[in-house]
Amino acid sequence: MRILVVDDQPLNCTLLKAMLEQQSYHVEVANDGCQALEVLQSTDIDIVLLDVMMPVMDGFEAAPKIKQLAGDVYLPVIFITALEDHASFEKCLAVGGDDFIHKPFDRIILSAKIKAHARTRKLSQEAHLQKKQLEYHYNQTEREHEIVEHIFSNALSQQVKFPHHCDYHLSPASMFNGDMFLMARSPMGGFYCLLGDFTGHGLAAAVGALPASRVFYTMVNKGMAVNDIAFELNNVLYTLLPGHMFCAAAIVELSESGKSISAWIGGLPDLYLIDQEGVVIRTLEAQHMALGILDEEEFERHLIHLEVKPDQRLVMATDGIIETESKQGDMFGEELLKSALLSIPMVTTADIIEKVHTFSEHGEQQDDLSIAIINCIASEALRTESTTYSKLPFSISMSLNAGQMKDSDPILELVDVLSQLEGINEHRSNIFLLLSEAYNNSLDHGVLGLDSEIKNQDEGFFEFYQLREQALVCLTDALIIISARYCPDSLSLFFSICDSGNGFRNQESNDTELHREHGRGLSLLNEIAQSVRYNHAGNEVEMVYSLQ
Amino acid sequence: MSLSKNASSDGKTLTIQIRGKFDFNLVQSFRQAYAEVGEQTEKVVIDLRETDYMDSSALGMLLNMKKTLGDSIGSIHISNCRPQLKKILQISRFDKKFDID
Repeated sequence: MRILVVDDQPLNCTLLKAMLEQQSYHVEVANDGCQALEVLQSTDIDIVLLDVMMPVMDGFEAAPKIKQLAGDVYLPVIFITALEDHASFEKCLAVGGDDFIHKPFDRIILSAKIKAHARTRKLSQEAHLQKKQLEYHYNQTEREHEIVEHIFSNALSQQVKFPHHCDYHLSPASMFNGDMFLMARSPMGGFYCLLGDFTGHGLAAAVGALPASRVFYTMVNKGMAVNDIAFELNNVLYTLLPGHMFCAAAIVELSESGKSISAWIGGLPDLYLIDQEGVVIRTLEAQHMALGILDEEEFERHLIHLEVKPDQRLVMATDGIIETESKQGDMFGEELLKSALLSIPMVTTADIIEKVHTFSEHGEQQDDLSIAIINCIASEALRTESTTYSKLPFSISMSLNAGQMKDSDPILELVDVLSQLEGINEHRSNIFLLLSEAYNNSLDHGVLGLDSEIKNQDEGFFEFYQLREQALVCLTDALIIISARYCPDSLSLFFSICDSGNGFRNQESNDTELHREHGRGLSLLNEIAQSVRYNHAGNEVEMVYSLQ
Repeated sequence: MSLSKNASSDGKTLTIQIRGKFDFNLVQSFRQAYAEVGEQTEKVVIDLRETDYMDSSALGMLLNMKKTLGDSIGSIHISNCRPQLKKILQISRFDKKFDID
């Protein structure tokens, strides 16, 4: 503890110095206000004893400057005074003095005052230190939040908007949103959306949104079913989130035609199917527990299926809406939500949020507010990007013996190989169909000698495949040669399949018979291929497929 | 290649989902899947979202199902077809007998 004595009387200085040093304080001495300020700038001083009347700069002038120099930390200034009038006391206080000590000095009073002010000084120093630490942590947290917010907004931002399909509103109660609303379109053209509400709000609630959104976008991109998406999300959240956290969610798929909806709903308030006027046609209740609670074994995949019409709309909201409280403590509730839907035709989410705010009299928002309205309309046709095709000619052929016919799937493998060629993947379903029909014809009728007439009898369809299996087991000596050739100039694929069988022309020779025998398969071939030609014997087929 | 089935929570819809290749290899499991259609089932959905390939044997299996179930159920939907598979169903005039979505 270091004390500065400021007095122009050498006697006073000596006296005070002796008294204070006796009590184990360090003492510095200055003879006027100016000297005092110099000492304060170069030395850490804890208490100032300040005389009023001094040359150069008196105590009244020095006190405010001393206080200014001390900054935020309390530096006690105790006036040494012989004055007794109230006006002088007031002036001492007005310029920043904290206390007085009278001449002549009383040892006990001096000691008590010094100790009291020293304690206050110490508390102030500690508070100042804590405040600085707090500021540091606060700044650090702010900075980290900014970084995380940046990541969140980029990860969760909707790259594609669906203004015709969906109107939605999200307003978080804090910087981070514990609710999420995701939308995407599948390769088949279906529209998917997910409304999720994590336990609580703020950053802790928002962290789950990152992995959940990745899973959602990835799986929609593969055109997966809604319950498969729910299953996967549940697994991810069950693994990641602590036990007390979960995510109430509705996952909805509207088919490309806009005519049917499938939904998985867990732990969220009721969804409403409404008409243009806002009349509730059907209420969809959550049938499952929220995501992230049940393990893989316990998880339930049941879906809700709905047939919908183009003028119908599906409304979904998180519990923040119905649990918004008025100043009297009443909740907005489901009935007010339903009447808000009825308030005007083609109600928007903004209309509903406005009603919620009016209800709460614009009080502080307690939870994240999220609501979405899906219009049950058909999707616009997907844009087909122009495909580029490989410029290199390519051919492949395989000769299959009986063993390979028994236990391999040559067509699937061949289509997989061909799909690797640039531009061909888009056509793989058609190519599979052509090759599968032709190969099965060769195998079933040419090599195995089965009669597809069986298929037309009752239960014959099943019987045919049983016979086929039996015949295949007994097959010993056979050959099927499949070849495929890609011609980049004409953008065509040439296929030929040739078998070691007798060919159907040996038994049947007229065209109607041929047609009946191959039935539906052959007519499909003719529609999908550019040309289909059998050789005279009927054991070799050549097909041309155009990629254009 | 696999097949899975799923009843909706109200038991009115049976969904049969086929992954990968839809052809005669599934003849038995497909028949079993719709054998369980009960009185309360109103609709069967054949979900082809993950079906890459099908051939005429699949068409035969679908017709067989239609024949077996007959009027006992309201409708059979073939849903979420990829464009090429949808075309195959249209060429075969399946849109006259099934609801293709």
